[in-house]
Amino acid sequence: MPELARLSLESDGDVELARVAGEVDASNVDDLSLRLLEAVTNKSRALVLDLTETVYIDSSGISLIFDAAARLRNRRQQLRLVVPPRSFVGEVLAAVSMERSVPIDPDLAGALRAVGSSG
Amino acid sequence: MSSEPSNHEDAAAESVAEEAVTRLEDVQRVTDAALAYLDLDDLLAELLNRVTEILEVDTAAVLLVEDDGRTLAARAAKGLEEEVEEGFRLPVGRGFAGRVAFRREPIVIPDLERTPGEVVNPLLREKRVRSLLGVPLIVEAEVIGVLHVGTTSAREFSDGDIELLQMVADRVALAIERSRLAVQSQIAETLQRSLLPRNLPRPPGLALAARYLPAAHESAVGGDWYDVIELSPRRLGLTIGDVAGHGLAAATYMGRLRSAVRAYALDVESPGEVLTRLAQFAEHEHSRMATVIYATLNLDTWAVDFARAGHPYPLHLKADGSAEFLSAEAGPPLGTGAVATYEDHRVTLDAGETLIFYTDGLIERRGQLLSDGETALVEAAADAPDDPELKCRVILSKLTEGIDVADDVAVLAVQSIGLGELLEVEVPAEAEQLATLRHLIRRWVATHDGTDDDCAAFAIAVSEACANSIEHAYGPGDATITLRASLVDGEAKLTVRDRGEWRDPRGANRGLGIPVMKEFMDDVQIETGDDGTTVELRRRLGDGP
Repeated sequence: MPELARLSLESDGDVELARVAGEVDASNVDDLSLRLLEAVTNKSRALVLDLTETVYIDSSGISLIFDAAARLRNRRQQLRLVVPPRSFVGEVLAAVSMERSVPIDPDLAGALRAVGSSG
Repeated sequence: MSSEPSNHEDAAAESVAEEAVTRLEDVQRVTDAALAYLDLDDLLAELLNRVTEILEVDTAAVLLVEDDGRTLAARAAKGLEEEVEEGFRLPVGRGFAGRVAFRREPIVIPDLERTPGEVVNPLLREKRVRSLLGVPLIVEAEVIGVLHVGTTSAREFSDGDIELLQMVADRVALAIERSRLAVQSQIAETLQRSLLPRNLPRPPGLALAARYLPAAHESAVGGDWYDVIELSPRRLGLTIGDVAGHGLAAATYMGRLRSAVRAYALDVESPGEVLTRLAQFAEHEHSRMATVIYATLNLDTWAVDFARAGHPYPLHLKADGSAEFLSAEAGPPLGTGAVATYEDHRVTLDAGETLIFYTDGLIERRGQLLSDGETALVEAAADAPDDPELKCRVILSKLTEGIDVADDVAVLAVQSIGLGELLEVEVPAEAEQLATLRHLIRRWVATHDGTDDDCAAFAIAVSEACANSIEHAYGPGDATITLRASLVDGEAKLTVRDRGEWRDPRGANRGLGIPVMKEFMDDVQIETGDDGTTVELRRRLGDGP
């Protein structure tokens, strides 16, 4: 059986792209968090977290995003989220006003443009 | 004058008759049924006692052939006790006892003083044994040992003596064989029981139960097994199998197959592939034939993928009481020499359905058609109570009622929970259970005409409430959470109850669960008491007002 969530990582110069497919909850959030932060090096300028294929996220996942945003901010690195409009994940993030802390783009191209990545 | 010889004849006839009566009494003394209740050591001691009295001899000894088939070892003795104490052994073929075992017939040594080379045991010389009579112990045409008697004065053993001793030998052989079988079947049963899982997993929304019934005949124990493997928090492996034959050898092979299934199951996902590898393993072992079903159960979707190697069809019991054998094509049994591959088949359980796996001992009856057994199984399964534990018990007792069960029987049942207006499940307080729990809640909400939004809303709210219980209410241990769902006038109410005390949220971003629950529910109530915390979640289902 596939894992609850699958994380795929890509690098485009100094922009890291992380895609999460599946479900994020208390059972896998620690593992995801660790692998995400490992992907961001000192040379990275930004992390784009693509939640397009994330079908479920709850408060543990929200905590992960807030934590990651705070860490990256301290290191003067950017975090942007990709969340399709009218999705379940979008609804959950809206419930905690995530957009006030972390910029959210409706698609990947938009997010990459915003961080100034060529890819 | 004519009366003289007649008197003489009478006297002779009388003494023959007397001798016959004595012999009969002697025979009765060694075939005494009461002896059967003694354990082997006491039985041997008592028989040697009686035989020395009856035959008026000074020594008696039993030697048994060891497992190697080539050595005799002293097992019991009278008048030669040191032989046993010192563990006297000799090769089959050598010495007196060795020759009796080798030639498989009675041997008499009339006078050892004249032929001292005929024995190798120094004890016989030390004890000044002069005459010896030995007979083989034979079970099913195989020599398992030797019984011999001896006298310290020269003695001519008669045909009657030989006959009587052989009778005692047969008795001894039978007792030894019985005791060996009893020990073996005891080991087999212990081994078997130790290989069957003690506690079955209790995943949310599914119930598992199993029963094993050993064969009525002790020595018939051995080849059946079932197993449940926790492959991941959301996937179980289920096995049921039957090794041909009985006794220790069957039980041991069963243990090897069981371990092999476990190993392959962790390695590959497809049940057909697991069985294909298992079949190769079985060929490599050159062991006996076996039938097996291996299945995986997805705890989220209730999909059961299975492959079958010559094993009886699983029975699918529907919620409406109808039943269907899953007779999809199968590969051959293991160990038949055929190179085989096995295919996956899928059946998905709907709410309140049961899948029953069993071994052939349940449906096979001497002189009956297999289809009669299958019909009886369907009837018993449909009539039995829903609870899977009870179902297994009732099916077993109904199908084995009044029958001396010749074969052992195993039954394994897996059942999905019914999704009525009232749902109650108890789950271990572990984060790994959350995804399965969400699937269960979505399913329940959808069954009661909830929209996709309703399903998603309850999934996250319940998951949050449970995550809070897991994180705050409990330390490590065997704690559980109780989830209860009910429906009143189109409004769904779910309660999540734990028996711990919620601590204040830790960390800056903790404590987000409650706002999230409130966002998706019409109403959220949290009550913390001395005996735990209860979260009550309400939301109206459907597009109604």
